[in-house]
Amino acid sequence: MIDEKNNESHLFAPGIHGEQVPMRDLSREEVDFCIVGAGAGGGVLGAKLAEAGFSVVILDAGPHWDPTKDFVSDETASRKLIWTDERITGGEDPVELGANNSGRGVGGSTVHYSMVAMRAHPEDFQRRSLEGEIARAELLNWPLTFDELEPYYEEVEQALQIAGPTNYPWGKRRKRYPQREHELNASAQVLVRGCVKLGIPVAPAPIATLSAPHKDRPPCVYRGFCNYGCTTNAKSSILVTYIPRAIRAGAEVRPNSMAAQIEHDKRGLVTGVLHFRDGGEDLFRQRAKNVVVAGYAVETPRLLLNSASSLFPDGLANSSGMVGKCFMVHSGHQVFAKFRERINQYKAPPPGGALTEHFNRTMPDADFICGYTIEVVGPHPVDFASRISAARGLWGAELRRTMLDYNYYSGIGIVGEILPQQNNFVKVHETERDQYGLPIPHVIFSYHENDRRLIADAKRKMKEILEAAGGADVWTADRMAHLLGTCRMGNDPMNSVVNADCRSHDIPNLFVCDGSVFTTSTGVNPSLTIEAIAARTADRIVELRRHNAIP
Amino acid sequence: MEREDFRSHYSGYDVLDKWSSPDWDDQTREVIRRRLENVPVVRFFTEQEVRTLTAIVDRILPQSDRSEIEKVPIVPWIDEKLHEDRHNGYRYEELPPQRQAWRWALAGIDETARALFAGKAFCDLDVQSQDVVLRHVERGTSPGDAWKIVPAQGFFTSVLVIAIVQIYYAHPIAWNEIGYNGPSSPRGHVRKWEGGVDPWEAQEDHD
Repeated sequence: MIDEKNNESHLFAPGIHGEQVPMRDLSREEVDFCIVGAGAGGGVLGAKLAEAGFSVVILDAGPHWDPTKDFVSDETASRKLIWTDERITGGEDPVELGANNSGRGVGGSTVHYSMVAMRAHPEDFQRRSLEGEIARAELLNWPLTFDELEPYYEEVEQALQIAGPTNYPWGKRRKRYPQREHELNASAQVLVRGCVKLGIPVAPAPIATLSAPHKDRPPCVYRGFCNYGCTTNAKSSILVTYIPRAIRAGAEVRPNSMAAQIEHDKRGLVTGVLHFRDGGEDLFRQRAKNVVVAGYAVETPRLLLNSASSLFPDGLANSSGMVGKCFMVHSGHQVFAKFRERINQYKAPPPGGALTEHFNRTMPDADFICGYTIEVVGPHPVDFASRISAARGLWGAELRRTMLDYNYYSGIGIVGEILPQQNNFVKVHETERDQYGLPIPHVIFSYHENDRRLIADAKRKMKEILEAAGGADVWTADRMAHLLGTCRMGNDPMNSVVNADCRSHDIPNLFVCDGSVFTTSTGVNPSLTIEAIAARTADRIVELRRHNAIP
Repeated sequence: MEREDFRSHYSGYDVLDKWSSPDWDDQTREVIRRRLENVPVVRFFTEQEVRTLTAIVDRILPQSDRSEIEKVPIVPWIDEKLHEDRHNGYRYEELPPQRQAWRWALAGIDETARALFAGKAFCDLDVQSQDVVLRHVERGTSPGDAWKIVPAQGFFTSVLVIAIVQIYYAHPIAWNEIGYNGPSSPRGHVRKWEGGVDPWEAQEDHD
């Protein structure tokens, strides 16, 4: 164990235009907040807390990306943006962890997300009241209402300059989006044509990439490499929005720092975070008055469980036994079809510019509860070839021949709500260790019968839409997206990990702020909700501090 | 071996013609230069394993339309990933760590070949027999003790085929074949609509 001996009083971090930005060095201080994870949750929370005058260190296990040098126009070389450390995956429907759901480096998954920036609906926060008890599912109301979160949706939409339609037809009526909508790409035209033929309402998608210049960032030029890092800064990732704000306000963003353990004192209050730096074997201690875990729904419970001690033998914040439980994904099934005209699906942002939330609700005539959003997808060749090969069992000459028509395929996919279940969970592996010597995550997932009915319905609907649009040779790829739950938010300390302020029921100076806190999964992409919750949490912390309710 | 026909719709297209265009930035050029020029030497697999894997790759992603020198190299990149032990971010419960999984699976494919075809190694079989072996592995009906350690079906679909496919379609030769625009930084695209083709995208043959 060594404490920081560095005498430098300041550091430099990559800016977003290739410049170096001065940054405070807080490694020897007891900071107000040490946040683990610089993604959608940690980045927003860290920036707002620093701006409120708190001293803040944000640790991230991966590099601090320089968008002008580190991002490449290539699928394979961009794998460095993905969390590829070993994780064991099991259950009846094992989740493919990594490429489609886990980011590595400052900005987290927002560096490679598809930027669909949707609000959850008022109903999403009241699932238990609306649906009643569902067998084998752990439905709960959120301890937050939509109305409490609404101003924070508004706040992060402004900060990220979401581009969307003047009138968005679903959910609670809202103001116009800060930026105008993007034009449709070919795959979005296909979705719109199919929906119009079938009488399904469809609308421009709200997307977190600029459609007009904003401050020092240019509008999108439709490179189509959004999932591989944006080289022009048009994409409103956390890396180019909240992280520069955090550094400017005096936070230290410490890259290549893998958290190993959260420490606590005899009273059970947390005191800081032990972490490895720059691939070395020494553990560093960041002392902090408060700790926030924001590592997403696998690494967050893993850190809490790996921090078990004699005082907290089952891990931190885990008196309920719910840390790691009710792990959720979204069903992300996709349907592709071949068209007569060239689609060139690699062009433009992957969400393409259109979506429909028509099925994102409990439908009176359906044999399942909850619903799904249908969006546009546009995989590049490595990804597309993997999907079509797996989906249709294609290999050999047949695969190569099929791939010759890559430019004629168009695809759509869902974000489908998945019910929380006790039997879906993240635990730490009994024997296997990672490169740091830390127990690796073991993730168990099986769909609920409701999930399976929802997926079957969505596949049918997507097939109808593509066929109505003139598509042939239709096929389906079974996929999942997003990692949610595992530190669910609730009012009852017996069945939840944090309260509405993302504060641990057990340890008053320990917070969780990322997709882990989702009580239910909702039928929309989660990034905007994670960011809105983080923005609200920052305001709540300022309020709690004012009343001396936190250290 | 019979030559198979994989006729591209874009016979005049070469993505590398855009090397110095506004579609390619320095960092992307560096990555692709390495892919084209610095094919790694084999360090993980044994010679026998390389023979078996080369024969497998020739069936999963046949390139019989190309001479040896024209083929997209695949085995060296699988070898490099295993040599460096770079992970995918997930491993199915029933699979051993990837290095062991590959070794056992290659041994298993040979075992299956010998069991089905009178003691012949996989790489010595004719292509039809090789496909029979691979179909057995794909369906999980392949005889051999190695498959008790590595589940055949799981390895075939979630590891073997995907590894080969992902290396092949990351190569400019494959991009030419399917008319993929390839790198696009900083220029991007203008004609995004159905049937829209920017002048710098792959143009189709008119015949």
